Amino acid sequence: MKSLKYILLVSFCMTLVCCNKFLDVQPKASISGENIIVDETSANAALNGVYSALRTYYSVDFQSIAYLSGDNIQWTGSQSQVQEFINHQVNAENATITSAWKGIYVAINRANQVIKNVEELGDDVIAESVRNRISGEAHFIRALAYFDLARTWGGVPLITQPTLEVKDNTGIPRSTVEETYELVLADLDLAESLLPETTNRFQATRKTVWALKARYYLYNKNWHEAENYATRLINDNANYELLKPYYAFFADGVTGTRESVFELFYNANELNPHRGQWQPQQNGGTRQWAPNNTFVNLVNDPAIGGSRSALVAKDNQNRWYGNLYYRSPATDPTYVIRIAELYFIRAEARAELGLLEEAQADLNAVRSRAGIANVTTSSLADLLIAIENERRLEFGLEAHRWFDLVRTNRATSVLNITDPNKFLMPLPAEQLLVDDTLEQNPGY
Amino acid sequence: MQNNPGNAQTFVHSFIFFLLLSCLTNQLSAQETKPLINATLSGLVLDSLTKEPLPGALVQIEGVTHSVSTDEAGAFSFITGQKFPFTLIISYIGYDKKRIVINHDKAEILLKPGFNQLNDVVVVGYTTQQRKNLIGSVTKVNPAESKDIPAGGFDAQLQGKVAGVQISSNTGVPGEAVNIRLRGATSINASNDPLYVVDGVFLNTNSLQTVNTGGKATSPIADINPADIESIEVLKDAEATALYGSRGANGVIIITTKRGNFNQKAKINLNVSQGIAKAAKLWDLTTGPEHAELVNEYYRNIGQPEPFRSVNEVVNGVSGRGLPSEQQTYDRLGEAFRTASLTNADLSVSGGAAGTRYYLGGGYNKQESILKPISFDRVSFKVNLDQKINDRVQIGTSNTFGRTGRNQARAGDGPQGGLLQAALHTPTYLSPYNDQGLLVGRAGFDNLTLLLENYDVHSTSLRYIGNLYADIEILPELKFRSTFSLDYNNYNEGEYWNNQLIAGSPNGLATSAIGQATTWINEQTLTYRKSWNNKHVFGVLLGNTLQGSTLERTSATGRGFASNDFKLISSAATSTSSQDWEKYNLASFFGRIDYAFADKYLLDFSIRADGSSRFGSADPWGFFPAVGAAWRVKQESFLKDITFIDDLKIRASYGSTGNQNGIGAFAARRLWSGVGSSYQGIPGISPEQLPNQQLRWERTDQLNIGLDASLFKEALDISFNVYRKYTKDGLLPVTLAATTGFDSYTSNAAEISNKGFELAINSRNIRKQHFTWQTSFNIARNINKIEKLDNPLNYGSRDLILFQEGNPLYSFWVYHQLYVDPQTGDVVYEDVNSDGRITTADRKIMGSIWPDFYGGLTNTITYKGFDAAAFFVFSYGNEIYNHNRFFGEAGGARDAARVIFASNLDRWQQPGDITDVPRTDGVNVNNYKDGGSRWLEDGSYLRLRSLTIGYTLPKSVSEKLHLEKLRFYLQGNNLFTWTNYTGLDPEAAASSSPNEQGIDLGTPPQPRSFQLGVNVTL
Repeated sequence: MKSLKYILLVSFCMTLVCCNKFLDVQPKASISGENIIVDETSANAALNGVYSALRTYYSVDFQSIAYLSGDNIQWTGSQSQVQEFINHQVNAENATITSAWKGIYVAINRANQVIKNVEELGDDVIAESVRNRISGEAHFIRALAYFDLARTWGGVPLITQPTLEVKDNTGIPRSTVEETYELVLADLDLAESLLPETTNRFQATRKTVWALKARYYLYNKNWHEAENYATRLINDNANYELLKPYYAFFADGVTGTRESVFELFYNANELNPHRGQWQPQQNGGTRQWAPNNTFVNLVNDPAIGGSRSALVAKDNQNRWYGNLYYRSPATDPTYVIRIAELYFIRAEARAELGLLEEAQADLNAVRSRAGIANVTTSSLADLLIAIENERRLEFGLEAHRWFDLVRTNRATSVLNITDPNKFLMPLPAEQLLVDDTLEQNPGY
Repeated sequence: MQNNPGNAQTFVHSFIFFLLLSCLTNQLSAQETKPLINATLSGLVLDSLTKEPLPGALVQIEGVTHSVSTDEAGAFSFITGQKFPFTLIISYIGYDKKRIVINHDKAEILLKPGFNQLNDVVVVGYTTQQRKNLIGSVTKVNPAESKDIPAGGFDAQLQGKVAGVQISSNTGVPGEAVNIRLRGATSINASNDPLYVVDGVFLNTNSLQTVNTGGKATSPIADINPADIESIEVLKDAEATALYGSRGANGVIIITTKRGNFNQKAKINLNVSQGIAKAAKLWDLTTGPEHAELVNEYYRNIGQPEPFRSVNEVVNGVSGRGLPSEQQTYDRLGEAFRTASLTNADLSVSGGAAGTRYYLGGGYNKQESILKPISFDRVSFKVNLDQKINDRVQIGTSNTFGRTGRNQARAGDGPQGGLLQAALHTPTYLSPYNDQGLLVGRAGFDNLTLLLENYDVHSTSLRYIGNLYADIEILPELKFRSTFSLDYNNYNEGEYWNNQLIAGSPNGLATSAIGQATTWINEQTLTYRKSWNNKHVFGVLLGNTLQGSTLERTSATGRGFASNDFKLISSAATSTSSQDWEKYNLASFFGRIDYAFADKYLLDFSIRADGSSRFGSADPWGFFPAVGAAWRVKQESFLKDITFIDDLKIRASYGSTGNQNGIGAFAARRLWSGVGSSYQGIPGISPEQLPNQQLRWERTDQLNIGLDASLFKEALDISFNVYRKYTKDGLLPVTLAATTGFDSYTSNAAEISNKGFELAINSRNIRKQHFTWQTSFNIARNINKIEKLDNPLNYGSRDLILFQEGNPLYSFWVYHQLYVDPQTGDVVYEDVNSDGRITTADRKIMGSIWPDFYGGLTNTITYKGFDAAAFFVFSYGNEIYNHNRFFGEAGGARDAARVIFASNLDRWQQPGDITDVPRTDGVNVNNYKDGGSRWLEDGSYLRLRSLTIGYTLPKSVSEKLHLEKLRFYLQGNNLFTWTNYTGLDPEAAASSSPNEQGIDLGTPPQPRSFQLGVNVTL
């Protein structure tokens, strides 16, 4: 009897021990573990993950905030949250606001993860040049992400360490907008020093950093530096030029043209949902939004729009739709920085510096590419308005109009926004509930 | 399971464990005395009224487990060691169980046909019990009453049949998931579905559908033919469910399929029915001219030119659309809905020889939805077989094969392929043709005609559910059972969108996905039962279960086809593919001790330990104990003489059950993923999930107190239960601040309570030989409350649903419209925080999908050969959000983008108008606001769910036809619904997602249907 009991006990224990092994099921679709970034291959893979997150927030959400909030687009669908941007009455519950905010921080976390892990890798597993390049690209993306946060919401919580546990990186109060821009500049400076001076239109290089720096200085009204950095790219004729006609940078399925300084890459496995919002039903889209009558009239006016009329087209019910994102499969690039923008940056910087003629030349370079006549104005004010109007058409369906009007303090007069609080978007209401250290922007 | 060599090892170990246990008990009982004399006993079992033999009746000698069954002539014989006189127990389905003292051979035993429910055998966890001895709260359902109701699965047919089980059919599409809640809901993110056990197999109830049909999902339960089901037992309280431990928190529904009888000649049963279904009503829409008037009114309200003006009147370069009176009206609803046909045929053969019994069943079911082109069909086979190898060993198998085919369509949400978007939401004034005479989609939706002609979304589910068992009687008191079960589902689905449809523009789109869900279970149980001096009955049950579940899916998408005739992805210009894999294992040990004293006091205690791989390696184990007691008061001497009470029992139980469904298989781990991380075609990785090492079982404690009474010679049965459930460590995705870069992590963060009562009354009002009338009524009330939830959670379109501490789950979160100001025509909302503005802070919870009361009422009458049954279901006090009406009551503000409902014509037009429909001021401005309470409606209803009239040919006639039985019947379903709800169906829900119930958008209603059927038994 005793031995039986003993055998019974042992057998029971064996069953339990075995059970614990039985209960340890390892995932296959994902990998589970602590040290993931361990060498050059995994570091490059993680960097791709950062680009992928950048692409996710840029493709529709972030860009739509900027162009819907301008005055070129009308709403034609059913989701009234789209209309909120057009009416400049954005609610804190707005779904696009929420997903853009979240998407940007996902990119930041992934960049932080790469920055931290890659720095810890020894020379035995990764060459210094590769480590610098990867870290530089991650810093660039983080700079762009904070830049986008700052110009949309103002000062935001600054997160520079990866989230490893659930308690990390929450309850961080918002920094000021100045502090946010300081971080952008610090990251850009570091990226500039780490990255090679090569040309790559799909990944960040030192030249991409220069282009973003030009934009950064424009927003921060440092006209000298804006002109300086814009010039570096404009002078790089061998690699960047204003393609003629206007639509040569997007029509016929082209990608990575010489127009492009930085664009996000898509292929049949990495689709860009953007076209679905623009294309009419006959092309498999929802035409959730479309160019409004004013924009259609402007862009179709040969003296104003020129070859930019290719941005719009008519569907089988005689309705206009935006045609910048049109490919099937949906592989349209997301245009982040085009060389045209650097001409505009330099034009505006030079105008502000009093170099009206040079400014006019830059503006006319873009106009002549669109196939329209040069402008001649003698006053700074007129020239700035001319630049503003030109940007409206040149970037009609891209993410500029709203930020341009806000940074130049023109939103009130152009868009009839009486409440200056509306120049910043509300923080997502659900985030205020989750994190009570966050403070809402005034007026919401 | 080939993937893990540990599994096989684990099997072996658990077998060893049980074999050892068996050896031990064998040794212990070796001293028992062998019988000295062998007596032969033979006899006959007959019907007491007709004196006809009863084949297959079970004859047992009391105190001994040895039993035989009667042959075709009703005869039986024993060789036994007992001496005369001894007591026989004879039981036969449909007859009162008889206990009789026998003192001679060749006994003739008469059984009385009975309605005695007390001795009914009820299947409970891992065993069966007589109803009178139940401690737990268990309801047995006779599926024959509802099996002809046209619905894909038996779950939908259960509606209104069981007190405390709330079922909403959600949709008029047969075979789609229904919402079923047993005693409320205990969980936010772990599943709230009950556990289904079919012949001992734990059923996989997760839909394998990946095709987007606007939030709807197919029901895997529809793979089972309801005609093969013998009985359904619903286990509700902790005592009844505790043996299912981790799986039992939301109740257990045990399905027992039909089996043959030993010594029964082959019985053939054929049931054929044919029917039609049609919508009881459709939406009431404005005509073209009315639509135009409302749009003009809107533009006048905002001070802009009327768009419906003379065509020649050009304003800002835009010509008019024609005067309102010039507008046409196009009826699209009539084109989309049809009179659907319903076909059902079941054929079964059952019978048995001395040591063998079998059941063979075949079924065919085809149901068209009233909404074209949706349909559902199922072919099923059933093979159940049992074989006695000798007196001590019986083996057997249960097998269900099903093939379920569906033509699917996205009925509701989403512009692409949305049938009701095209049919209902497209403005009536818009022609289906453009200026060139081509069919075009309007308002951003597909063209209805093109959609109906070209819709091609289909799925095929192949299902096998089966097991193999061996019963070994080690001693008369000690039985060992081992089973191996398998639930395998192969789900093959595909879509083809040609270039005529939005989704397929410009060159066609095809998708294909094959999903496979496999669950295997190995189970051993050892039961010991012994009685002493007819006073003490003592039982022990020990068991273990190992389970492995794997979900695999491969899918592919192709874009760009040479023409609409090329439909396979192999001919696509570009194609992409994907693969998913998930697996989890469960290991469980369980035991129960029960004790009964003098048939009067019943006690039991059970415990189950469950380990789940979902909780990571740190602590996968949960322990779930339960204790129950019952007192059969009627057995006490002081009630002996009170003759109108046949039985009276008071029950109480308390225990814990667990839940781990609904969370990811790897929810506890830190994960990095390759999905969605590649760039420039080069693979990438990214952090996907933060770890939670503390993740553990969700746990529900339940207290149940019940009373069962049988009165007036069993004319009236009453069963009453009150319960309280409290769920701790509720599994939930806890939202993380976006600054972390993650959405959420899985944690044990919620507490939820449910309390309520259930009352079931079964009354045999008239019991005459030629006339019977029986009434069954049940009613239940459940109060659900979120006791702890740190941050509120929103679900549903426009955040219509809010989960907030202190309120019930599934509460509606709306702006409370007080009235429409008769002077201005503007809506006045309740300013909840009194800050003079209407902001999100003024949204408040107004009602939920929980009814105050719900239940069912059935009246069954038989008169000679005629039978009739009327079955009502009801729900009172639940709210429903009429999201269709929200879209259709935008006044003219949505202009050409949406239809306008006729109800919008009651709008405010001039000062003094009293109405609740305001003047139009835009979309989501003030009067027409996302989340306004104007569209939140009372969803109470009383529905005549089915009405059946049947006629059975007199035996004299059917015998001439060489038939045992021939019955014709006519059944009507959903004939009448009494409700104040202005939509089509108060049960409608746009989504199958449990957290988004009660929002009615783009859902075809449950149809009114009529079926004519014939039932033949040979």
